[in-house]
Amino acid sequence: MKIAKTLSILGIAVAGITLAGCRAGGENQGLEYAPQMYHSVAYEPLTQIMDSETKGDLISTREDGKGEYFNSNINNPHNMNMREPVANTVPRNKQGYLPYRYKAFEIEEAGTSMKNPIELSDEVLTEGKRLYQLYCTPCHGTGGQGDGKVGAIIGGVANLTGGAYVGLSEGHIYHVITKGKGRMGAHGSQITPENRWKIVHYVKQELQGGQNADNATATTEVVAEADQDVSQVETPAN
Amino acid sequence: MLSKRSLVGVRLNFHTLAVLFFLLIGTQAFAADPSVDNSDEAVAAGKALFNTNCKTCHRLDQKLVGPALRGATDRAPVELVKSFIKNSQAVIASGNAYYSDLYKEYNNTMMISHEFLSDEDLNNLLAYIEYGDTADPAAATATGDAEGGAVAAGGGIPNEYLTIILGVLVVVLLLILIVLGLIISVLTKYLAKQDLDEDDKEFVSQKTNLGKVFKSDMFVVIVTALVVALVAKTALDGLYSVGVQQGYAPEQPIAYSHALHAGTLEIECQYCHTGVELGKSANIPSANICMNCHTHVQNVQGAEGVSPEIQKIYDAVDNNQPIEWVRVHNLPDLAYFNHSQHVVVGEVECQTCHGPIQEMEVVGQHSALTMGWCIDCHRQTEITTEGNAYYDKLVQIHSDSKDALKVKDIGGLECAKCHY
Repeated sequence: MKIAKTLSILGIAVAGITLAGCRAGGENQGLEYAPQMYHSVAYEPLTQIMDSETKGDLISTREDGKGEYFNSNINNPHNMNMREPVANTVPRNKQGYLPYRYKAFEIEEAGTSMKNPIELSDEVLTEGKRLYQLYCTPCHGTGGQGDGKVGAIIGGVANLTGGAYVGLSEGHIYHVITKGKGRMGAHGSQITPENRWKIVHYVKQELQGGQNADNATATTEVVAEADQDVSQVETPAN
Repeated sequence: MLSKRSLVGVRLNFHTLAVLFFLLIGTQAFAADPSVDNSDEAVAAGKALFNTNCKTCHRLDQKLVGPALRGATDRAPVELVKSFIKNSQAVIASGNAYYSDLYKEYNNTMMISHEFLSDEDLNNLLAYIEYGDTADPAAATATGDAEGGAVAAGGGIPNEYLTIILGVLVVVLLLILIVLGLIISVLTKYLAKQDLDEDDKEFVSQKTNLGKVFKSDMFVVIVTALVVALVAKTALDGLYSVGVQQGYAPEQPIAYSHALHAGTLEIECQYCHTGVELGKSANIPSANICMNCHTHVQNVQGAEGVSPEIQKIYDAVDNNQPIEWVRVHNLPDLAYFNHSQHVVVGEVECQTCHGPIQEMEVVGQHSALTMGWCIDCHRQTEITTEGNAYYDKLVQIHSDSKDALKVKDIGGLECAKCHY
């Protein structure tokens, strides 16, 4: 009787400790209750199970004989799930923007021929300010004076309110955001074209006091009409 | 008379020497072009110009992105310096040997044109460059360090206090125990010497019998109950933790610190996790986003050489190899979650679910990400309906209810919202 009691208590203790080991933490992902329902069969963004050998408790029903959780795309480089667009195809976003075609060095052309397609409004400025604070303040600082915390480390950050910059055209600013210039990297992959134009509005109107805001319209009345399709063009990183 | 004169002479000499000495310290090993104005007004005006237009790349006595500027008019004629400031590329193109060499020395880093500066501006600027404050950079770094120290110290204090308080409490309790023990022994000894009747003697001389206590029914019952409760709790907790990855904090291929990037440097989450407002996934940044800064920042805290961790980014970029980050938050495939929906429309802060990411050296899963956890939030979160015509009808329908309009009222508890 006593032995049985001790055994049962011991058994519960062992079970408890084992179960406590299922808890996740550090490198341990913990115990999965129903892995077949947890792991995506379809390709999943930011998930790539490379292990093609491991099979679960149930028999894998995969036709290719690989482990049941394997979900990498064997047709892609590095078995990745995402892929660059097919060569010579032209992606177009919902707003009809074509890829940006100016090369990084074609800053003059970009600066004179592009016009901000987004109409200036209070909402656009508010949104522009928000976006500016997300993507630009680390270096350029909240006031655009090149005094951001990251900028202090990188050094050589433009003071957007400085005399050399206040007169720049909107197209120029857009080009620099997209392709980078000098010590600034290209931010085209991070910010959508519309959002870049909103930031341009904010920088031009709020930080630079609206100086030379319509430079591009003055010089390129003719191009302006065709602009919507042609000049807000954006190439994949070259 | 003679002695008096000589005394004056000595004093004068000393004075001149002192002036010369300070002048030498102030101007270091060069002399500014004499045509440069050294009046206070000019220096002050120049300082303002310098801070707006030059400060990000230049210091007076320190090499930054560009060279240290003091002594510029000693190294080149004043007019040439002015035309270089206005349009550096034109001067280099004209074939000036000094500036061409300088350009090469600084890896062909182009200085932007400053055509807008008037001649007076340039004069003031040069006045500041040659005669401006010398103590400035040192003071700036000193305050910077002090701030850094304060920030670093800020986090740890409360925890340390708690440990200290607990330690002191334990020590005090132990002391009380010892003192009580001493009192008992002293009292027993004292009582033993007194004249007592039998009952009292027995009571005084009785020893605490540990064996008896262990065998008493009460003790067995209490201990058994405690053990059973503990084991049951561990077992239940263990069962509840099956399939929950809270606390999972795997080592990543690069020892990237969110505490440094998002905490100390205050880079917004969206700068790198660009997809968070656009779609289902927040996105793990590709190496080109790292390179926006790490082209220039090659080591931590300005240390020499390339940090081995940052070198991994360079290798990935050079070899076009993806960096294989380990996914921390693995929501089961049976549940659908969309970041943009929660962040844009719901205006949920990243930290609400992901915890204090800006303090994490290694990111771990902060929330349980169980269905109960989702549902709890959907039951409690009110909806901001003002200024959004989409909700007008819903608000109208909901107006009978006493409670505010919450996520649960607009389908936040429907099975098929997340499971399909």
